[in-house]
Amino acid sequence: MKKRKRREVNGVSSLKAAVVLFVLFAFMSSTFVLGTMALGVEDVALSAIESAELAVDLAYDAVLEAEGAGANVSGLLNELNDGAEALSKAYVSNRIGDFDDAIYFADLCYDLVAGIEAEANELREVAVIDGNQRLLLTSFGSVLAVVCICCGGFFGWRFFKSRYHRRALKMKPEVASNES
Amino acid sequence: MNLEECKSVFAVTALSLILVAAFPTVSMVLPFPSGGERFSELWLLGPDHMAEGYPFNVSAGEVHGPIYVGVGNHMGSSEYYVVYVKFRNQTQPLPNATVSEPSPLSPLYEFQFFLADGETWETPVSFIVEDAEFEGNSSFVTGISINDHVFVVDLFSSWDSEQNGFYYQLFFELWLYSGDLQVFQFHNRFVGIWLNMTRT
Repeated sequence: MKKRKRREVNGVSSLKAAVVLFVLFAFMSSTFVLGTMALGVEDVALSAIESAELAVDLAYDAVLEAEGAGANVSGLLNELNDGAEALSKAYVSNRIGDFDDAIYFADLCYDLVAGIEAEANELREVAVIDGNQRLLLTSFGSVLAVVCICCGGFFGWRFFKSRYHRRALKMKPEVASNES
Repeated sequence: MNLEECKSVFAVTALSLILVAAFPTVSMVLPFPSGGERFSELWLLGPDHMAEGYPFNVSAGEVHGPIYVGVGNHMGSSEYYVVYVKFRNQTQPLPNATVSEPSPLSPLYEFQFFLADGETWETPVSFIVEDAEFEGNSSFVTGISINDHVFVVDLFSSWDSEQNGFYYQLFFELWLYSGDLQVFQFHNRFVGIWLNMTRT
């Protein structure tokens, strides 16, 4: 009887220990999982912000190149501003620990600026072609004007010279008295 | 006027006309430096869009503003700016304009935007001191809300016996994106308002 009781006691205590261990494990694992999840969301937010920031930087570089080539980039700047506003909100949300919002706004920013680089490159190419055509036309105009000026000057000078000589030949000499 | 003098006048006139005719092409090929100083403006206006009426005596829970922060671009090309909003007490450092160093304090709020040359940008900023406590000669501000975003600040300020108040400062720093370094750099401009924390 005693042995049986002892075995029962042992059985109950091992059951209790198992329950305690299970509860402890469950608690620790939930804490661990929650902590890991929180860290994971923070990392995802930072990564999303970095991607958005890179996309904005690349788009801005492309817009600057297009502007340098003489393209009208006001429309692209408006689009970039929408992205920049979303990026600001992502940073602010990240700073206050609202990582879900940070991810949302960073992704929004990425989507908003995604096509800008291609648009800017197209605009730059068009601006370069326009610029070359304008340069060609202006150069042609300048060369034509210079040729006209040279020819006009040459013939004008010849005409003026002959007229000058003709007038000089028609002049009658006058004798001036020296009364002094 | 004899013939030689006439020849000189003809030659000078022709050369001048050639220069005028060639100028458009030359100006397209050779880059001429654009004159004038390149700079950015940063301003802060009160609720009536004037440089007056800024919030000064503030207490916890009251909505202040909007005040208007603005930037003007005169840099000769489109620029990428960020305005950082920071909050400090009297002992914490401001930006150092002589060595172009920003305040080492972490920004709370920020505004990023692009501006074409010659254009301006302006935005309203409202703020609420979320929680302020007073204990003897000290006051504590634990949170401030800027444009509906609450930030934990945990700042204290001692009683300023000369100015009679507990002073804090809300200030705005202007940073400019450097394409070469691919980072924002302090643009050596900041504006701010002093706030006297009062009991409700």
